[in-house]
Amino acid sequence: MTHTTTGTHLASGKTRPLGAPARLAKWLASERVFRLIPFVLVEGLFIVTILIPFALTIWISMLKWRANRPFETAVFSGLDNYAGVLENEQFWFSVGRTFYFAGVAVALELLIGFFLAMMVTNCTRSKKLYTTIFLVPMMIVPIVVGYNFSMIYIDSGPLNQLLSPFLERFGIDPRIRWLSHPVAAQWAIIIADVWQWTSLTFLIFLSGFAALPRQLINAARVMGASPMQIFFRVQLPLLKPAIAIAVVIRSMEALKMFDPVVLLTFGGPGTSTQTVAYFLWEQVWQFNKFSFGAAASILLLFLFSFLIFAGIFTIIRQRNAIAGGR
Amino acid sequence: MARIQIKDLVKTFGAYKAVSGINMEIRDGEFMIMVGPSGCGKTTTLNMISGLETPTSGQIVIGDTVVNDLEPGERGLGMVFQDLALFPHMTVYENIAFGLRVKKVPPAEIDRRVTAAAEAVHIGSLLPKLPRQCSGGESQRVALARTIVTNPSVFLMDEPLSSLDAKLRVDMRTELKRLHERLKATFVYVTHDQAEAMTMADSIVVMSKGRIEQLGSPLAIYNTPATQFVAGFFGTPTMNFLEGTIEANGSGRRFRAPGIDQPLPDALPAGIAGRKVTLGVRSEHVLVDANGPHAGTVLITEPLGDATLVHFDYGQGKTLVAKVPPTTTLGPGGQLRFDFAPQACHLFDAAGGERLN
Repeated sequence: MTHTTTGTHLASGKTRPLGAPARLAKWLASERVFRLIPFVLVEGLFIVTILIPFALTIWISMLKWRANRPFETAVFSGLDNYAGVLENEQFWFSVGRTFYFAGVAVALELLIGFFLAMMVTNCTRSKKLYTTIFLVPMMIVPIVVGYNFSMIYIDSGPLNQLLSPFLERFGIDPRIRWLSHPVAAQWAIIIADVWQWTSLTFLIFLSGFAALPRQLINAARVMGASPMQIFFRVQLPLLKPAIAIAVVIRSMEALKMFDPVVLLTFGGPGTSTQTVAYFLWEQVWQFNKFSFGAAASILLLFLFSFLIFAGIFTIIRQRNAIAGGR
Repeated sequence: MARIQIKDLVKTFGAYKAVSGINMEIRDGEFMIMVGPSGCGKTTTLNMISGLETPTSGQIVIGDTVVNDLEPGERGLGMVFQDLALFPHMTVYENIAFGLRVKKVPPAEIDRRVTAAAEAVHIGSLLPKLPRQCSGGESQRVALARTIVTNPSVFLMDEPLSSLDAKLRVDMRTELKRLHERLKATFVYVTHDQAEAMTMADSIVVMSKGRIEQLGSPLAIYNTPATQFVAGFFGTPTMNFLEGTIEANGSGRRFRAPGIDQPLPDALPAGIAGRKVTLGVRSEHVLVDANGPHAGTVLITEPLGDATLVHFDYGQGKTLVAKVPPTTTLGPGGQLRFDFAPQACHLFDAAGGERLN
């Protein structure tokens, strides 16, 4: 006996086609609808949160429009905004400043995080205590970190209080306004970022050290390698994937550096601490230059995507070199 | 000269005593195997010889030197680890060369010695490969070559064959034994596999709970186990154990257990009568014989090809295993009669487990 799923059996043996609502109800009740649910959710989320805003950004970047004017006044301007961004000196300055901040901060975070992880790994007691303490900065809300550092740096703050005995000896007024000096303000931001995010590199390296097989180090010891030789010939090469991960994750974040700039200096003094994220924010939300900001962010997307893919490629290659497939 | 002496060696981890005061001597050029179940202290002992663990007390002497305070690299040893511990980021060549590089041997000599060591274990063609491109057996040989290349007078091996499949393991056993004969070095080898110990060792140390149960040649350990533990550890299938008492019967003595009344050889220590004992008999010494004094019911048979194992019930649900010729017609449910070869009966104290005869 054969079954049909598209209609009801009549006494005569013929089948009568189902109506559209009945067919829809039947389809909705079928199993494959359930299989579609996760797909639809993911796709929906992707379309709503990424694709539509991305398309809107591209569209806006090709208009001549300021947010303080009615949208009806916007006119299509092609790639004019892109040309404007590329000709804007302040844009290139802030890109350079961002790479400078990110480069210095990430380098320091890697070095300090690596050193701390190495110390904690070799700790024989209170290991968990130190791990917890070193992880605390990462868990603090960035705005709190920024506020705390701004309190540290103000002219009557604890930094000057600490330095005053030395400064007074040389006849210097101890009420130094650190954030008003271009170089000091830059370092103030770098230090705040390093303080907060060394925790993350510490965590990555700590797990990297923990994952190093003990037997490899034992084998090297039995073969007569000194602790220095073990570190440089065995441990460090095996930690390369962890180092690559830390570099990529921290660089991606540091290139978006925004909160410490806003909280400590507002890009100042002058524009000496302006990062590219701050520049975008200022153009869009302070000057209402939406289409200019949109064009700038699309250009940055290409620049950073290139760096991120290069980073991810490096991670994969490092991993494969050690543990990958044949 | 690579004689190793171990004197009153103790190792504790917190309150746990991993090795409790062992003494032994490993002769120059001997293939010594330490065997025992997991947690018996054999690997800890090996690690103390290598210097990876520091003894809590006691002495380790290699040659004429007390090595307790020497770093692992200063003891002149080579070690093969359980998981081989090949450096995954170095080629096979660099893995083998590592021990020479850290000692700053001139490059030309490194090249010569690495090539020679690789040839010795037939892996000359693997040198440019990475460890992950090698099969299990090949990795094994790389680990051996890495150890051979530094010409150690003592080879320490911590269950090196445990990661190999059964066939390869048997092949590698033969190869290790050949290597030992060629190098004439002292080998100290740790395993939990009694078959490995039996086939390769010049002498075996059986360990349990941090103590040495018995030290002797493989055959001595198999034929006259010092304790019930050793008797049960060696031999496949495991030795049969029957609990019962010894009774004096005129001039002779007999072992009695439910369903069993077995005459024992005369050469037994005096005063043994009346004691609770465990009688140990290997399966090949349980003789299935139509005229045997004891009766049993066959439960299952296991053909091995060259012999068949017969598991049978000799009363009250207690089972014995007998090894019989493969031509046997016994099958489950069948009745049999059996006897024990009297000279092959081992008697152990029921409480302490030590050998009585």
